[in-house]
Amino acid sequence: MIELKQVTKRYGATLAVDGLSFRAPEGQIVGLLGQNGAGKTTTLNMLTGYFPPTSGQVLVNGVDMLQDPRTCKRCIGYLPEKPPLYDEMTVAAYLAFVCELKEVERKAIPAHIKEIMATCGLTEVSQRLVGHLSKGYRQRVGVAQALCGNPPVIVLDEPTVGLDPRQVVEIRELMRQLGKDHTVIFSSHLLSEIQQLCQRVIILHKGKLIREADMADLTGGGDTLRLRASIAMKEKQLLPALKGLDCVRRVKVLPTSDVNITEVELECVTGGDRGDPQTQLFRLLCALDAPLRLLVPQRDTLEEVFLRATAEDDA
Amino acid sequence: MISVWKRELQSYFYTPVGYLFMGVFLALSSVMFYLQILAQRSSDLLTFIGQISYLWMLLTPVLTMRLLAEERQKRTDQLLLTSPVSLTGIVLGKYLAAVTVMLITVLLTMVYALIVAIYGQVYPGELLVGMMGFVLQGCAFIALDLFISGCATNPVSAAVMAFGVNFALWILDMVETSVSAGWLSDALNFFSLYARNEPFLMGQLSFASIGFDVSFAAACLVLTIHMLDSRRYRGA
Repeated sequence: MIELKQVTKRYGATLAVDGLSFRAPEGQIVGLLGQNGAGKTTTLNMLTGYFPPTSGQVLVNGVDMLQDPRTCKRCIGYLPEKPPLYDEMTVAAYLAFVCELKEVERKAIPAHIKEIMATCGLTEVSQRLVGHLSKGYRQRVGVAQALCGNPPVIVLDEPTVGLDPRQVVEIRELMRQLGKDHTVIFSSHLLSEIQQLCQRVIILHKGKLIREADMADLTGGGDTLRLRASIAMKEKQLLPALKGLDCVRRVKVLPTSDVNITEVELECVTGGDRGDPQTQLFRLLCALDAPLRLLVPQRDTLEEVFLRATAEDDA
Repeated sequence: MISVWKRELQSYFYTPVGYLFMGVFLALSSVMFYLQILAQRSSDLLTFIGQISYLWMLLTPVLTMRLLAEERQKRTDQLLLTSPVSLTGIVLGKYLAAVTVMLITVLLTMVYALIVAIYGQVYPGELLVGMMGFVLQGCAFIALDLFISGCATNPVSAAVMAFGVNFALWILDMVETSVSAGWLSDALNFFSLYARNEPFLMGQLSFASIGFDVSFAAACLVLTIHMLDSRRYRGA
């Protein structure tokens, strides 16, 4: 498990990361989301020991990165934004070198490399020079080097940037596979990517953590449920009754072309004594004899959550 | 450290750098051998070693230019610095790889001694001491140029800067003989890598010179490690 405690990083007068604290639990895919310059790469560089924080602590399985970097670094495989590849080496020779760096037992290296190359789809290019590979294959070699030594934590910095759509799908599938038996921490500014892959999301803005939650809670709204309803009743009669419901926190009227039909978006609180919001609404409408034409629970997209969170922070 | 040493050594021969260094060194030393030994029908190998020791100034930048500057330029240092290998291990591995290529080259120059031994007289003790001084001087230059490679942002500027510093050392050595102030002359003489080589070229095993060359190389390596570590802390 990785934990950051009040981590700050300054580049001269510039504050890149400001008092950041979060945990990446074991066996989860954690996404670091933020705009360009939000501090994602700096955070990952500190987390992997590339450079130390100005203040604060990075703990890997409870061990401080500054106190015992060797033990911590053994547990982490890192793919930086630009894969650290030596163009003059073959794929197999490069991976063998990384295995030696990661202190893999010499006898076990050939089998280990074979397994990693099979996982990353590199077997057919194993004897080709890294410098001759396409961008997609280079990225795969980058992921493969992060797997050398079988570290329990894999850290990937914007792993799909610059790839064509097919390569993006392949890398995402690879990350999904890795997430089954590794803790994967990756950064991205692509919301759809984070939404597809992550179980937990950390939103950074201007070097600060502004939201940290499980993906389901973040997009589901936690204890808040939004319902969109279309009801065959005039707005004047319906609205006071809707506002009188215990579970309804806010009512937003949506435009319609028919004055006899009211379309509303209701922000409701879940977990009340009188049952779930849908049931309460249904009972009310039965009592009013107002036919319900449509009822759809609304889920926030990550884009909405992200924009709302960053706008709140800016405000 | 061994993995870094092995990779760097392989890299010298995967790329033209190792061949370029060895080729140019052997070509220039062959010309000097012809002029100094064959053309003059001399067997004075120590003078010949003294002359080829100036090749370090020209050629060690070729060996060291990529070692740290290219890692920084291509961001491959991220792999090394996030692996369990220590900074000391990384710097030593790279230094020893350059020294290994230098030693292979020096070993090849033994052919000259063999030619002299066939047609004339070679004094093994004298030759051994001369070669020791020659190798120690090369080790000191490599350590200095490795430090410069760590300061540079790309291999070309590393090579130009290293050559400039090596050349400045040679100029200072010449200045030392012409300055009138005794204390300045003594100071320049003390720190001169060329003056330190003179006892070896007279066949004397000078422990002071050995100590100086080894300390000089060690100081450059320690400075390199500290410089890289300080850059990590600054996050630059």
